[in-house]
Amino acid sequence: MLKLDGITVCYGQIPALRRVSLTVEEGELVTLIGANGAGKTTTLRAISGLLPLTEGSITFRGQSIGGAAPRVVLGQGIAHCPEGRRVFPQLSVRENLEMGAYLRRDHAAVKSDMERLFHRFPRLQERLQQAAGTLSGGEQQMLAIARALMSRPKLVLFDEPSLGLAPNLVEQTFAIVSDIRREGTTVLMVEQNAYAALDMCDRAYLLESGQVVQHGTGQALLANESIQKAYLGA
Amino acid sequence: MAEFLQHCVNALVLGGTYALLGIGLTLIFGIMRVVNFTHGELYTFGAYMAFVLGSLLGLDFFLSLLLAATLGVALGAVIEFVLLRPLKGADIDTTMLVMIGAGIAMQASEQLTWGGVAKMVPHPFPPDPLVFGPVAVAPVRLFVLGVAVALLVAFYLLINRTRLGVAMRATFQDPDTAALMGVNKGLMYTLTFAIGSGLAAIAGALLAPIFLVYPTMGDLVSLKAFAIVILGGLGNIAGASIGGFVLAFVEEFGAGYLSSGYRDAMGFLLIIAVLILRPQGLFAAKERIG
Repeated sequence: MLKLDGITVCYGQIPALRRVSLTVEEGELVTLIGANGAGKTTTLRAISGLLPLTEGSITFRGQSIGGAAPRVVLGQGIAHCPEGRRVFPQLSVRENLEMGAYLRRDHAAVKSDMERLFHRFPRLQERLQQAAGTLSGGEQQMLAIARALMSRPKLVLFDEPSLGLAPNLVEQTFAIVSDIRREGTTVLMVEQNAYAALDMCDRAYLLESGQVVQHGTGQALLANESIQKAYLGA
Repeated sequence: MAEFLQHCVNALVLGGTYALLGIGLTLIFGIMRVVNFTHGELYTFGAYMAFVLGSLLGLDFFLSLLLAATLGVALGAVIEFVLLRPLKGADIDTTMLVMIGAGIAMQASEQLTWGGVAKMVPHPFPPDPLVFGPVAVAPVRLFVLGVAVALLVAFYLLINRTRLGVAMRATFQDPDTAALMGVNKGLMYTLTFAIGSGLAAIAGALLAPIFLVYPTMGDLVSLKAFAIVILGGLGNIAGASIGGFVLAFVEEFGAGYLSSGYRDAMGFLLIIAVLILRPQGLFAAKERIG
């Protein structure tokens, strides 16, 4: 479904990703793990079109999207739920959700999608008119996820959805990500919490210094000794 | 008391156009982070267009106002497209210098085209003032106030109630995330600059029949627009609207009760006071659009 083929991304002269290749098949939950600065977020930002590619190509469902503008990538069906939630703090919860559906013209369906999301996230409905900046961290994460779903994506990129959340909310967030995949949306997730990520995913890629150094099924990487040492604290 | 009320009426008329100038400038700074030194020249441009269309071509007064505003929007879009778009990612000093240069070039072109002699713009309103008890006001000034207030309300609704307005505010708060939602940042910047410029041009066109039209008329206006933006808090649209009226009241009362020679200085004294006592602006809790 999604295929990154040897992409290199530079910040100025310094390469942040070096010839990274990875694939995500339809219906999969794939995670990217690795230390801070390994290039996980950069990978997602390159897929979304926020960062230009120095080399390599990205295809999504057979279409080349490497170097395309973010709105084109979104239009192809890839939503990006960014690191640190990044809700629009001074827009209301409703306006944030409307921004998620910004490219859509089917207003009636947007409305019913919003209603459906309220079943999953009742707190959002309670706070509909409130500025998003006044929500708690957990609520903001729910809003960021709901906002990403408002575009009816085929693939969702989650960047550190558990970052900065209390432990019970971390669990809840991962459960939501699993639900989204179960309902048929493909997921590519970046996570620092390597244990949880490997445990819930189908396949995983390990990034170190901007390169893919390992990949395999989540269970295989969980069993891998060097990964246990470096990332799982075993 | 009569004198006091008269000053209030004068300040309201002036404040309406100040507010238009202020929100245009604050919108551009808030969303694009561009310190727009062409703002005063767009105001001058609007006034000259009112002169060309209304006086030289003899078009209907109201039609010429509408056209002047439209041309201001178009000129703003051109400036953004030609000068600012290639500078995407450049630091604020670079764009500032380019805008200063553009402002100088625009003023010099006006001088070259129209000469330095001030022009008059006719208007169709009766010259006799309307008298309301102790207060007298020229009909054309009431018209200016009415249009300014209508535009302020329209602009408020645009920013707060429309899809475009929500996208503008989202772009202001977080440009990258807005792009992830599908917002076309480049288009948003062009529209922002065009709308801000159009507001400056309509302010110039509205005041053209009240004041004279000359090439350097934008200089002081430009400074005052910055003053208004600082008063209201950078990027704060409601603050800039109120700031426009505050500046007008301070000028009008300063000129009326202290010294009319210092009319233009009053506003700047106020700015100095604001910058010392409340540098984030009178109304700003923090920077924001809306």
